[in-house]
Amino acid sequence: MTIQQLIFIALAILVIGSALFVVTTSNLFRGALMLIVAFFGIAGFYVLLDNGLFAVAQVMIYIGAISILIIFSVMLTRGMQAMIPRNAQAGSVAIAAGLLFLILLLAFGPFRLVVDLSGVPVLATLFRTESPRVLGGLPWSFANREVPETYIADFGRALVDLNQFLLPFLLVAFLVDAVLAGAIYIARQRKPAEVIAEREAIAKEEAEEIAALQPQAASPALPQSAVASTAEH
Amino acid sequence: MDAITNLLKIISDFVAELIRSVLGFSPLLAELVVMGLAAVVLITFAALSFMGLTYVERKVVARIQDRLGPNQAGPFGLLQPLADGIKMFTKEDTTPATADRWVYNLAPLVIAVFALATYAVIPFAPGVVGTNLNVGVFYVLAIGSGSIVAILMAGWGSNNKYALLGAFRTVAQLIGYEVPMLLNVLTVVLVTGSMSLIDIINHQTLAEGNPGIPHILMLPLPALVFLISGIAETARSPFDLLEAESEIVAGFHTEYSGMKFALFFLGEYVNALAVAFIFSTLFLGGYAGPILPPYVWILLKAALVFFVFMWLRGTLPRVRIDQMHALNWKFLVPMSTVNLVLVMLVLKLFPTSEAAAQTFGGILVTPWVQALILLAVNLAVLFVSLALAARAARRFRQAEEEMIMRRRSANLATARA
Amino acid sequence: MRTDFAFVGVMIVAAALLMGVTLLAAALLRPKKPNPAKLSTYECGMETVGDTWVQFRVSYYILALVFVLFDIEAILLFPIAVAFNALPLFAVLNVTLFILVLLAALLYAWRKGALDWE
Repeated sequence: MTIQQLIFIALAILVIGSALFVVTTSNLFRGALMLIVAFFGIAGFYVLLDNGLFAVAQVMIYIGAISILIIFSVMLTRGMQAMIPRNAQAGSVAIAAGLLFLILLLAFGPFRLVVDLSGVPVLATLFRTESPRVLGGLPWSFANREVPETYIADFGRALVDLNQFLLPFLLVAFLVDAVLAGAIYIARQRKPAEVIAEREAIAKEEAEEIAALQPQAASPALPQSAVASTAEH
Repeated sequence: MDAITNLLKIISDFVAELIRSVLGFSPLLAELVVMGLAAVVLITFAALSFMGLTYVERKVVARIQDRLGPNQAGPFGLLQPLADGIKMFTKEDTTPATADRWVYNLAPLVIAVFALATYAVIPFAPGVVGTNLNVGVFYVLAIGSGSIVAILMAGWGSNNKYALLGAFRTVAQLIGYEVPMLLNVLTVVLVTGSMSLIDIINHQTLAEGNPGIPHILMLPLPALVFLISGIAETARSPFDLLEAESEIVAGFHTEYSGMKFALFFLGEYVNALAVAFIFSTLFLGGYAGPILPPYVWILLKAALVFFVFMWLRGTLPRVRIDQMHALNWKFLVPMSTVNLVLVMLVLKLFPTSEAAAQTFGGILVTPWVQALILLAVNLAVLFVSLALAARAARRFRQAEEEMIMRRRSANLATARA
Repeated sequence: MRTDFAFVGVMIVAAALLMGVTLLAAALLRPKKPNPAKLSTYECGMETVGDTWVQFRVSYYILALVFVLFDIEAILLFPIAVAFNALPLFAVLNVTLFILVLLAALLYAWRKGALDWE
């Protein structure tokens, strides 16, 4: 095992562990922090892929900007005290994500489903070696390709090349513009009466939710402490 | 002579060779030990300069304000940093009972680590650099986002309203001033054609076929904006709004004391020194310079930039938060963007290489002429923006005065009636 | 290229270790005599009222969004700046268009008052 594989495994454990923490914790802020750890691990993957530019861009965009945006929007929400600790959709989302992961694993993973020449699907194993440019039975033109020294300049040229990425490059500008305009529209100043009415509606909804939760959470002997513990989460 | 010029390189090569020969049986381990040692040397340099700078800054600011500064501990108060260190080590450290302990305790560590990580790419002399990344400046800008995360951690972890508010204000300031910084570093990369800090220094070094013009002469506007946003990024005076005691106590580190506070302090100074080093590298030619050895040049230049920081701190009053945001978003960012576009057009219309002129057209000029055109464009952008800003400010003032006059006459009318 | 970044990793680990040791040493040296008053949240001597999690102004969010906009712009412009010498004028004009579109967004935010801090 080379040192690169060791680092890869360490980073993979870091990313998966922190991602698991993110989806299981009920503390939104800690979740956001662990998301940052996961982003760092992904920057490490880019370094292992010999793409320092993307690694640094990952740190800059996802840690320096997106996660700050996430934390700011967490702070815009109502306090955590009022939060219902469990999401009703959690189970179905977990099943869907698991299924998706299974499909990805079958397509690209070590025990992958490969369609052989006669059209019969077979389960390839870890030890079955294919040509180096095949990933999960699919031809993968970029697997095992060396990254050239001039990749930053190449990337820059490709971004403004009419035959390559010029259109997406310009579309990015318009997309971000639209996002900003939308955010400013939503965050516009509202009339106090509107805000008060909305807050009342939210408070009512919350009270109903907590009331609905209580019979399951509270044992009949200790109703008072059960109320307190629900409120503390 | 040669030995003095390359002193740092000779020493570092010697030590690296020594370790490699001792641990020769395992090249990987030897490399790791060499890198670890280099890292420890860099960190020690940063930590020691932090101690020295706290003393120097207090002395300099004291002289500017007609005071003596530290003068009790040792001759001229020279032992003051040591005394501070002992105090920080032995001071009782309180963690608020309601704090989020993990987040609260990790925040100072995170801020110090990310501040120190910048030093991995700063070149001190030819061949003496932690690592020459081909994304050098980009790395420096990106690693700064680590301290933003640390500030949010400190604000949240303390579970204190002042700390959280202070953290939010500081983060809004830091992310805001990162934008002009990025845009102006971009102009340097445009001129150089590389993000590696070594390449940027080489572009400013006198050599065959290279006139070696320091970037500050051709890009004075980016240099100025970089300096301003650098000060704001390190939250130094006059942008030290988080220290506005009357409003938010001490900002995000309200609850910290002892060594944890010292690490925040270290992060602040190490970051400020890093900005001084990066400014010297990007605009003043880094270690390039005549007669004196390169490592002396870079230290002199960084010291000069840091002196400017201290000078500004001793002279300028703190800006208001709305003024600070307005200066950034309504002045520096639009100005830098316009300047960036113009620099791009100048570089394309007045190329210095014959090949570029033949392939893409444009008027072939010598590097000095190109630098002069860039200088003229830069100054024009600066003066036009200043004039526009002055006019806007005048209009704003007039409108305000008119409003006051109208209100006053209305009041008079009601009083008479 | 990977090996260039190895030093960054070593630097981060070394800094974390050294700073961690400093924190530990301070933890061993300092006195520890907590009492409830010392451990209370600092609020200039007042008792803390209510939750720390006050609702923040939405303008922080808008500022962060404007920042993301310029961050993306810079990320895409850095590789273009590296390749700049090899770009035709047509490409440069497109880059100018890109920058101006984003500048328009800034001006829109400005006119809508999203950049004001009252």
